[in-house]
Amino acid sequence: MKAVVANRLIDGEVVFWKSGQWVERFGDAELFDAEAPVEHAVSVGKGQPTVVVDVYPIDLVQSDGRWAPLSYRERIRALGPTNEPTHGKQAEGGDVIEALRHAAGAARSTGRVDLIRRK
Amino acid sequence: MYQYDLIDKEFLADRSAEFRGQVARRLSGELTEDQFKPLRLMNGLYLQLHAYMLRVAIPYGSLNSTQARRLAQIARDFDKGYGHFTTRQNIQFNWIKLKDAPEILDKLAEVDLHAIQTSGNCIRNTTSDPYAGATAEEVDDPRVWSEVIRQWSTLHPEFSFLPRKFKIAITASAKDRTAAKVHDIGLMLRQGRDGTLGFEVIVGGGQGRTPYVGPTIKQFLPTDRLLSYLEAVLRVYNRHGRRDNIYKARIKILVAALGAEEFARQVDEEWAKIDAARADLPTAELARIRAAFAKTPFETLPARSDAFETAKANDAAFARFVRNNVKPHKQPGYSIVEVSLKAQEQTPGDASAQQLEVVADLAERFSLNDLRVTHAQNLVLPHVKLDDLPTVFATLQASGLATPNIDLVSDIIACPGLDYCALANARAIPVAQDIARQFADLDRAEKVGELKIKISGCINACGHHHVAHIGILGVDKKGEEFYQLSLGGSGAEDASIGKILGPALPADKVATAVDQLVGAYLNVRNDGERFLDTYRRVGLEPFKEAVYAQAD
Repeated sequence: MKAVVANRLIDGEVVFWKSGQWVERFGDAELFDAEAPVEHAVSVGKGQPTVVVDVYPIDLVQSDGRWAPLSYRERIRALGPTNEPTHGKQAEGGDVIEALRHAAGAARSTGRVDLIRRK
Repeated sequence: MYQYDLIDKEFLADRSAEFRGQVARRLSGELTEDQFKPLRLMNGLYLQLHAYMLRVAIPYGSLNSTQARRLAQIARDFDKGYGHFTTRQNIQFNWIKLKDAPEILDKLAEVDLHAIQTSGNCIRNTTSDPYAGATAEEVDDPRVWSEVIRQWSTLHPEFSFLPRKFKIAITASAKDRTAAKVHDIGLMLRQGRDGTLGFEVIVGGGQGRTPYVGPTIKQFLPTDRLLSYLEAVLRVYNRHGRRDNIYKARIKILVAALGAEEFARQVDEEWAKIDAARADLPTAELARIRAAFAKTPFETLPARSDAFETAKANDAAFARFVRNNVKPHKQPGYSIVEVSLKAQEQTPGDASAQQLEVVADLAERFSLNDLRVTHAQNLVLPHVKLDDLPTVFATLQASGLATPNIDLVSDIIACPGLDYCALANARAIPVAQDIARQFADLDRAEKVGELKIKISGCINACGHHHVAHIGILGVDKKGEEFYQLSLGGSGAEDASIGKILGPALPADKVATAVDQLVGAYLNVRNDGERFLDTYRRVGLEPFKEAVYAQAD
């Protein structure tokens, strides 16, 4: 399972693709089980340079019966910093946030790998 | 403190207006991200994990209370109510919106602050001794020379597109509080035998993936030749630095490849070609800058304060604070006060808007309107009367700012790490908090003595782990956070690069490992030895044994 993430240009907020829109909550993100629609979403996102930057797909893993980003980095992006539990997206709490906090997957983030490659 | 003149003020206002236009053009699509990114970076604006981050320059770590209050206001109005002081004496805001950035730059410019030289391949904000103008150890006021370099290097046209970033640190004390030997250029002011002042010039130190303690390429550079000599160093670097490979682009790689002697020879050759009358600072201009720092209005006071002595005798907490956070001042009746930003559970280097305001008020009322930032991510009130220390202590204590742990085990340097930074591999902040918790007992921390722990979330080493007594580097092992420990580094006058202790540890084993290292040290230390001294005497083995023996 995959989702597509980006940062919103105007404020840097982490956003997730949902059927042609960019939404702020991971819980609202569109989840993909096929490659073609992921590539389509990434390509549409890259064609919106005044809306989002750094568009890339992330891998997901199951946690508490829900889906969560596989890489630690992407879970922190979906939650907010772990040293300030009331800052960022995690502030609103709820089941999705708890599932993200409990997720135990481990892998490199594709965003991180791209960042290294770009350098 | 140096005051910006009309030209400086107009320049900052223009710069802010220019950036406003650039942001508008980016949002309208007139500029692409690739075109815009270098422009925003020239104004200290990075895109991090959750938002934009704005790094504000604090030239040589020196602020007045108006500036500190303005930083508090920005933290409150545009961030989530806090800022993070960095290992280069700057402050970063973590939750900035691109659309707000021009307004923030306007507000900074109103109080002579900006974000120039906090990013990009230019000469970065020059750092200096946070005790400048206050310590009896210094042979001259290093802020004078820092300000000279600030004016010379700001948007220097020849040096705005160097092969890589370029960092200068200046100390005028034998005890180095600037990490000068691990900078691109470290300048150590010395008094010559004839009484004249000169710089020992250290070039090509650095941290990151290839750490070096910089070699000295000039033992004694007369101060009046500083700018032409810096120009010569920068020219050799600009010409021969490795632009083809970002990992080899810093000056340290060039100096190591050529050898210090050959590098020095090329610099001297270049220096000989430079017209000194053009390049060096005119005496009158130096005198003007020097005068700005000479006016500290100290009172004539007795060396002993009864109020201070009484408070120290009657209040154990105050006495502990004095032992650890109060340092001797050159002026009788005054002291230097370190304000720790390393309380239990605090993020190292973070200050809330309210804390910034408290410290700004204290600086205004009790420290001649002067506030400093240290590279160890703490603050300093440089000119506090002994008579006022009990009041200052009580005020700090009421705001969680009186942690008596300067240079002790819980005074940990930590970069923002994977909690905020796009480059990080692992978190640094929670590891620092774990260790601080392990050593919450202040009696034990004092018994352990000076112990500098520094944590970086990636090999770029913003957390200075290479030059820590105990260094901790976050690494990514198949997507999991692991931490590599190293021992025996120092960023001070006895600079050295730490040696890796052994295999990386999982996050939950790091604080225990530090405890085991401290245990091993206490077992074998001689009287008066710091952790670093003991390590240097006995080597890695006893420490390795302490951490890994049971694990095998």
